Amino acid sequence: MKNIVSLLSVLTLIFVVWTSPAHVAEKPYKIGVNLEFTGPWAEVTKTVKNAMVLEVERINKMGGIDGHLLELLFEDNGFDPGRAAANMTKFTADKEIIAIVGPFEDNLQATTRAIAEREKITNMIICPSNPMVRSLKQKWAFNIAQSDIIVSQKLVDLSLARKYKKVLVFHGAWPLAQSLANYYKAFGEEKGMKVIISQETHKPTDIDMTPQIIKLKPIIEKEKVDAFYACTGGPPGPIICKNLRTQGIKIPILGTHAFGFGFIIALGGEAMEGVEFPAAKPVVFDQLDENDPVRPVNIDFDKRFRDRYGVGADQLAGYGHDTIGLIYDALKRCQGKVTRATFREALENTKGLKSCHGIYNYSPTDHDGLSKTDMVFVRIEGGKFKRFKLPGFE
Amino acid sequence: MGAIYALVALGFVTISRASQIINFAQGEFVMLGGVATFFLLNGVRLPYPLAALIAVMIVVLVGFAMYLSVLYPLRKASILILIMATLGISIFLSSTSGLIFGTLPKALPPFTDEQPLMFWGISMLPQSVWVLVSTLVLLTFLYLLSHRTLLGKAMEASSTDPLGADLLGISRSLMVFLAFGVSAGVGAFAGILITPIFFTSYNSGTLLGLKGFIAAVLGGWGKNSGAILGGFVLGIVESLSLAFIPSGYKDAVAFVILLLILYFRPKGILGSPFIDSRRW
Repeated sequence: MKNIVSLLSVLTLIFVVWTSPAHVAEKPYKIGVNLEFTGPWAEVTKTVKNAMVLEVERINKMGGIDGHLLELLFEDNGFDPGRAAANMTKFTADKEIIAIVGPFEDNLQATTRAIAEREKITNMIICPSNPMVRSLKQKWAFNIAQSDIIVSQKLVDLSLARKYKKVLVFHGAWPLAQSLANYYKAFGEEKGMKVIISQETHKPTDIDMTPQIIKLKPIIEKEKVDAFYACTGGPPGPIICKNLRTQGIKIPILGTHAFGFGFIIALGGEAMEGVEFPAAKPVVFDQLDENDPVRPVNIDFDKRFRDRYGVGADQLAGYGHDTIGLIYDALKRCQGKVTRATFREALENTKGLKSCHGIYNYSPTDHDGLSKTDMVFVRIEGGKFKRFKLPGFE
Repeated sequence: MGAIYALVALGFVTISRASQIINFAQGEFVMLGGVATFFLLNGVRLPYPLAALIAVMIVVLVGFAMYLSVLYPLRKASILILIMATLGISIFLSSTSGLIFGTLPKALPPFTDEQPLMFWGISMLPQSVWVLVSTLVLLTFLYLLSHRTLLGKAMEASSTDPLGADLLGISRSLMVFLAFGVSAGVGAFAGILITPIFFTSYNSGTLLGLKGFIAAVLGGWGKNSGAILGGFVLGIVESLSLAFIPSGYKDAVAFVILLLILYFRPKGILGSPFIDSRRW
């Protein structure tokens, strides 16, 4: 009798283990996220993280990818190249991790990109800011951003449509701003514009640009410049606009895509009125054309983001959304067993993926994904971003 | 710009006169003043003057807390250790502010109209006038405090002759405690004045602190008037330097000035009560 009881209990145990969901469910696909959760980018990365979490939960609720759930692993690199590299190495050591997202900062991603090439793991970079690093044509690194080239092309379109013949460029002394300035000059002069790149520059930490602007004022007056291009990003943007208006310079101001953040208007106040720039679509997603393919994606995402976090989605949330969207799309298309290599192949073959920022097309020669048509013209009016169209230039 | 350096320098000088400590967290007081006002104005929705007043009080309390929790227990240690401690506090304050108030830069609305005023062809923001006038008012206030009141004289006595001050029954700890409060208040006030013109973010205190320190050394370490003069001279030299050198070197100018002044006139423009000129 005693034997039968123990036999029965062993059998029951085996049965329970056999049918338990842990055995049935497939292993999750893991994605490492290596971002600056502390330090100057803390708020920015928080938005990106929120968006990624929201999207992963949605995908998992729909059953994941062929029964595999997505799992995000977050590591804070604290704005420190050493820790970013350590996180990257840690992630690559975990054989279940298929791809790694981040970091943000130039010198940090230069390091992780190199590790990605060596260890053969996909590294997805949001907003790569150094064009020299971005355009290295690395096999394992993918960029999620409007590149300096398409931004400059779009801005040249804007200048041509506005009939600006002479534009003065006041650019920041960091690689992205320099590259934006040079491309703008190159593309603009192709179309017969005169672009003067100022000898004066500024740094991201400059809190007062008045001295530079006083030096530029005679050039503006002598050359009869049509527009002033504040080729910069972050707080210097509103500072330049304020300083220009304080000095009584009234010519139109052109900005970069980095002007498309609410806090920029909050900082600059009245001085930001009338500034025009090429922007990513999420900045004005509710003003896109009815037939714009990415309009419904943005409206749906914004609603879900607002329901969950109480604030609307912005460009950065859009990047988070797109990152997960690209991963999801590539995983679905993976041929055979999902490995780091097959995932990379699938990601590189991304074609026509509609997402928040536009339509992504990767190819062996293009790891940037977006094109000029994924940007719109935006003007700051009444403290709000307002989309406008110019005949012939969309 | 000069007026801001001057205000930061004033804070340095107030503490060093009372205790000979160089308080490297001075820049953080400025940052906290601006950021706290921003929070009270936009987060709690208080009226502007009230928000500013409460922010100054908060920062003064932070100054007191900083002295009581860190510097008072260390009072028997050497000055060098105390200075190191202030560096630690500076990092602590800036990171905490980043965590609580967020890391994006913040701007306050100007006190009055935003239209620039013209003086003899030079355009100026009304807010800059506010900064200038307020600096002068604060200077007068601190001058009266240190030269006309018993408290100020006691503060100075405890710095110039600690033994003598002890013999006269002046509580040196109390004096240093008060000095921290005053300098935190001056810093916070400076922060509120400048945030409408320049944006304040959680990490902007460090550079302001360093420039203020340079201004204090330039003018004459330990003198209120020196701090003001040094601040204005530094601001003007920095701006003028742009006419001759590329703007990328703007921040370096201040440090070059610091080196030059330390080589050739360590006691500063107006001379310093702490540095014996006969040694040079």
